[in-house]
Amino acid sequence: MAQFWFYVFTLVFFLFDYFILAMGLNIQFGETGILNFAYIGFVALGAYVTGAVSLPSSVGTAQQYIFGFNMPFPFSLLAGGVAAMLMAVVVAFITLRRLRTDYLAMVLISLSLVLYDVINNYVRLFNGADGLYNVPQPMAGLFHLTSNAFVIFFACVTGVVALIMWFVMSRVTRSPLGRTFRAIRDDPDVASALGKGVFRYQLTSMLIGSFYAGIGGGLIIQFGGSFNPSAWLPGETFVVFAVIIVGGVGNNVGLLVGALLVETLLIHLPAFLPDIPGHPGLIEYIDAMVIGVALMVMLWVRPQGLVPERVRRFQVPTDELIHRDGHSVEAPVIDTMSATPTPSAMAAHEGEDA
Amino acid sequence: MRYDDNVSAAADGPILRCEAITKAFGGVNAVNGATFEVPRNKITALIGPNGAGKTTVVNLLSGALKIDTGKVHLGNIDITNMERYKIARLGLMRTFQLSRELSGLTVLENLLVAPKVQAGESLFNIFFRPRLLQREEKQNLERALEILQTYGLYALRDNRASDLSGGQKKLLEISRGVMASPSLFLLDEPMAGVNPALIEKIGGYILDMKAQGVTVLMIEHNLNVVERICDNVIVLAEGRTLATGKLSELRENKEVVTAYLGEIINAGPSH
Repeated sequence: MAQFWFYVFTLVFFLFDYFILAMGLNIQFGETGILNFAYIGFVALGAYVTGAVSLPSSVGTAQQYIFGFNMPFPFSLLAGGVAAMLMAVVVAFITLRRLRTDYLAMVLISLSLVLYDVINNYVRLFNGADGLYNVPQPMAGLFHLTSNAFVIFFACVTGVVALIMWFVMSRVTRSPLGRTFRAIRDDPDVASALGKGVFRYQLTSMLIGSFYAGIGGGLIIQFGGSFNPSAWLPGETFVVFAVIIVGGVGNNVGLLVGALLVETLLIHLPAFLPDIPGHPGLIEYIDAMVIGVALMVMLWVRPQGLVPERVRRFQVPTDELIHRDGHSVEAPVIDTMSATPTPSAMAAHEGEDA
Repeated sequence: MRYDDNVSAAADGPILRCEAITKAFGGVNAVNGATFEVPRNKITALIGPNGAGKTTVVNLLSGALKIDTGKVHLGNIDITNMERYKIARLGLMRTFQLSRELSGLTVLENLLVAPKVQAGESLFNIFFRPRLLQREEKQNLERALEILQTYGLYALRDNRASDLSGGQKKLLEISRGVMASPSLFLLDEPMAGVNPALIEKIGGYILDMKAQGVTVLMIEHNLNVVERICDNVIVLAEGRTLATGKLSELRENKEVVTAYLGEIINAGPSH
């Protein structure tokens, strides 16, 4: 029975964690139109930095890594988020000032590959191909939990973190800032012609999204206690894309649905299924194919996702305005324009000239 | 220097001075020394045959393209090759030849996004000054609804902009520019592809803008409209300024007739 709950709460953890990751990618891609194919690199950096600051000094251990501050949770997690943001600043200055759409995407994929090779091969950074392990359990000194109890506990912690981050993200996307992000997504030239400094807003979006990526990555290493390059192959970015495309780009509820379907049900649930007799590991490959097919089907049949971006309706501020559609009110007082011109307006102007 | 304030609409002198600007694409000189002034609080038409460089000039003035040589001043400010969002913040707004609505936003949101500097675009204000945001958003909402009412788009306010017809998109683009409170509004063929009744309406809106102190520079092929609403005309041919003046005067100008008006006169009455 304890095993069952271990599985269930592992799935719950990944549901919430990928919800956080999906929110981060969504603000970049879904809201601002930045095709960040290096997203998994930001997740990985968040994970590594969270792990490296949580661990004690590497001197005298079998691992090699920088930092080693013994930093407690949640500060270690915040460090991971901030590290991903710092990388976002560098990446944004390299890419966003000059590149757009497909060219931007290609450069970001390249940067992701470069980062992967550097971390994989420069062992002194984050222990190379072996990655970090033996990362201390968060708040272990406080609660002394068994490993099963820890899974339940940390899945709940991740749920609370996801809830807070959902609240923050909703505030941002519903604000005029979110509206400007979506204007830039729809047409950066028009946004620029309206006085919006496109790079500044894209940078802001990159920073927010990368912070979410870093936190999501940090939670992964805090949950499992280890993280290595096999966990963030550059193709993993497309899993997060699948989450937001299946769930619904530009809709936070859709992201939760996407995280449930893609990450929880399609990726992690099959990992707990027994192997097909005579074909060990086959399920994993079938799983990858199912995700690919799901992505294609969604893009063909329902590109807006299962829960599409909603139309933002505004409450009309006064009763007078509410009745306008019924043509039952007087012409409004207009401070910038006179009342609606009629077809005779130009003729009247001609008369003045004459 | 702050870029958040419009150039003064009340000052003396032309609002825009364009001195010998050039722009080449490969070997083609699209703009080849165009020089003109746009008088303040007037409606000026920019006319010329196809390929004369009119849209390129608008792109150069608004910062969408880089000027090769020459100078542009908006009021007393040199805006030559300034970043386009900074030019916009100085009060120079534009529309596009083919309407470019923000398709994923509603009609109302297209207007709400237009005010150049909004407190709600700052993360700090979103979380720490919610009342300021609410106040600003309410003001913008009221103003946007009034403008939509004026432009006959009020009932469509919650529709996605991508769902509008061609004529409605033209109106949306102009109303969005008005929402941004321009000092100088560049309109790139605002009457193109719209029905005669809407042409009349748009003409009326442009006259209203002038009455509100907005200077308009519009590319227009419909000489009937130009004659009726424009105070001044700039004729562009082969990237150069051929002549400036009132249309009635330009009809007497042999060069202008040969380069542009002749085509239209020979083609029959203006539309």
